[in-house]
Amino acid sequence: MMSKPVGHEEFFTSLTNLLTSTSQKNRGSVYLTQKPLLPTFADQTSTPTGPPSILIRATDGNTNAPNPKTSTDKKKKSKESKVKLSTVVQPEELETFYARYAEVCKAGMTGLKKRDRKQKKAKGKGGAGKVAKA
Amino acid sequence: MPSSPYLPTSAAYLKESYLLLQAYPDSTLITTKYTFPPKPSKSSNPPTNSESTSTTTSTTPLASLVLKTYNPTSGICLKYRTNKAAEVGRLITALGLLAGGADISLLDGAVPAAGAGAVGGEEEGASVTPTTAGAAASTGANTGAGVSKGKGKGKGKKGKK
Repeated sequence: MMSKPVGHEEFFTSLTNLLTSTSQKNRGSVYLTQKPLLPTFADQTSTPTGPPSILIRATDGNTNAPNPKTSTDKKKKSKESKVKLSTVVQPEELETFYARYAEVCKAGMTGLKKRDRKQKKAKGKGGAGKVAKA
Repeated sequence: MPSSPYLPTSAAYLKESYLLLQAYPDSTLITTKYTFPPKPSKSSNPPTNSESTSTTTSTTPLASLVLKTYNPTSGICLKYRTNKAAEVGRLITALGLLAGGADISLLDGAVPAAGAGAVGGEEEGASVTPTTAGAAASTGANTGAGVSKGKGKGKGKKGKK
């Protein structure tokens, strides 16, 4: 693996930066992936079987390798190199982590359509109303 | 790139994803993509649909959020797209529940209501669709056929309307 998983704090800090800078530029993407981290054979002997840890990755999707499909000059212009983050969440930390994760995403994804900008009054839907207030 | 179906509601997406995760707990990958549309002047190939730009104000590009659940073993891919900021928190939380293997149907009471509300006024009639499509697809969700069936149903409904 190229990048080592970092601690949650560091992950959230970096993710916030990544989301914010993407939102400010009004271009680009952020990819977040999650998948179970399967124990390797070495681990299996020591770790009791249980729910697997979750590996969370975040990247801006940039690639350092030139894409043969796009003209090279375009690639050269954006000098930014790839941002890559990952962290591992233990099963028992999932809830805490995701609560925080959701907050970070909500705060960072400012490019999405705000509810109040053009509210069409989704009438009387209790759940929706609650979300709007929060 | 083959285009896979976008599920009509977040509730349907989460439900299908839950079933897929249950079927293949070890090899299913969930990707959340937060993306801005490419700059029109620069893009050599047009963006996927006019759909994404239909709500865009002229100056600021509107980002969109695409959730994708993919299982390489079976080749099943489920997607849901939104551009509502209000949905982000709920969706991420739901992904956390999925990651923990929780039964997402426990959320069924809350999710469809919020989902229907977020869809907006003009699709009031479509609020019936999620349950129908979800139920139809879930019966055969372990097969690719089940998924495409669900999609077909959703499309048909929309067309009729």
